[in-house]
Amino acid sequence: MPHIIFDEQRIELDEGQTVLSALLDRGYDIPNSCRAGVCQTCLMQAVEGEVPETAQTGLKDTLKTQGYFLACSCEPQTPLRVVASEANILRCPATVIEHELLCADILRLRLEPEQGVDYRAGQYITLWKDDMIGRSYSLASVAELDEYLELHIRRIPDGIVSNWLHDEIKTGDTLQIQAATGNCFYIPGSAEQKMLLAGTGTGLAPLIGIARDALRQGHSGDIQLIHGTRQVDDLYLHQTLLDMATQHANFHYHASVLQADKLTAPISTVPLEQRVMELATDPTDWRIYLCGDVDMVNTLKKKLFLAGASISNIYTDPFVSAPDA
Amino acid sequence: MSSLYERIGGQAAVDKAVEIFYRKVLADDRINEFFDGVDMEQQINKQKGFLTMVFGGPNNYTGKDMREGHKHLVARGLNDSHVDAVIELLGATLQELGVVAEDIQAVADIANSVRDDVLNR
Repeated sequence: MPHIIFDEQRIELDEGQTVLSALLDRGYDIPNSCRAGVCQTCLMQAVEGEVPETAQTGLKDTLKTQGYFLACSCEPQTPLRVVASEANILRCPATVIEHELLCADILRLRLEPEQGVDYRAGQYITLWKDDMIGRSYSLASVAELDEYLELHIRRIPDGIVSNWLHDEIKTGDTLQIQAATGNCFYIPGSAEQKMLLAGTGTGLAPLIGIARDALRQGHSGDIQLIHGTRQVDDLYLHQTLLDMATQHANFHYHASVLQADKLTAPISTVPLEQRVMELATDPTDWRIYLCGDVDMVNTLKKKLFLAGASISNIYTDPFVSAPDA
Repeated sequence: MSSLYERIGGQAAVDKAVEIFYRKVLADDRINEFFDGVDMEQQINKQKGFLTMVFGGPNNYTGKDMREGHKHLVARGLNDSHVDAVIELLGATLQELGVVAEDIQAVADIANSVRDDVLNR
């Protein structure tokens, strides 16, 4: 079995065991969150040995060449000497300039970073509570239109970071954020292509960014945005989206809720997945963005592919929550 | 005399065929349970490799890869009937793309040549 060397200790790995799991088993406190190779919280550096390619998925080339990798998705085949990444390698301070509740459990945070943050609308950043605990949140802002970074934070029951952001953080506070990443964003070109944006809960955050970015870049094809929530009160950007639909003839907004006393268009209780398939009867050449609940994302991805959409036209951002909330 | 791979259309044909083929596989109740929960992008890349091989194109497949790659599926009951279904769907895909019967047979022959490795016997 391969081994790793960390903190001058030789640590044997079990078959199929990741570097993160081996280090946690030994009692080392390694920052981590999603454990699915997405959030980049468990970034470490290999100073000797060969890192498997899969452990560097999604990292910037500059980091890859320096041996940085994600401990949660690293199953080394050969010995590896690893070190913790400097806590601040990717971090930058940002000031909270707005802290506003948009509905019962969703907070809008607007941040002003101390230095410019390069990002594409729809990507996500990691927000750090301290050196160890970080969580990823999608950006709802558009770099070219907004002077701030906007995040929509849903309060997770027992969520360490979300409750802290909701209850303790206030306007004027400084937070540590980490560079943007993710592949779910608008790429200019094929401006006449039909677009479908479907999301549940705060899956709306990346979608509204992507929609505004597409409109800003002159996208002329119809853009259908469908937001799914439990109830009408959870449609936290309802008026904003109605206004967007008024301002842009090719932008269409639909809402799908599980329960409602009375319904006014565009709100309906037809389930989100059904609504999507009714709108996209022939999605062959559509560009599709699916964000939010993992099951919804995977189900729709498969259904839309079977209905004719090309996999290369389907962009997804399934929300993976931290195992320990 | 051009090669089978060239006649079918090479890399471009693989790219064109892969989504048609994968759609047929996912829609076929005889075999789609083996594809539940797999990452779709990864699966498409694997199937491109498979199509390249059975089209007679450049590939690095070894019998060992075939055995290792399907071991867990054989444990779940993968057998000749499933391989038959895959070859049938492969033929239907190629027919849709206008490949002549003779070449479809040649592709099926290559696919059949790895049957024992796939089924780990």
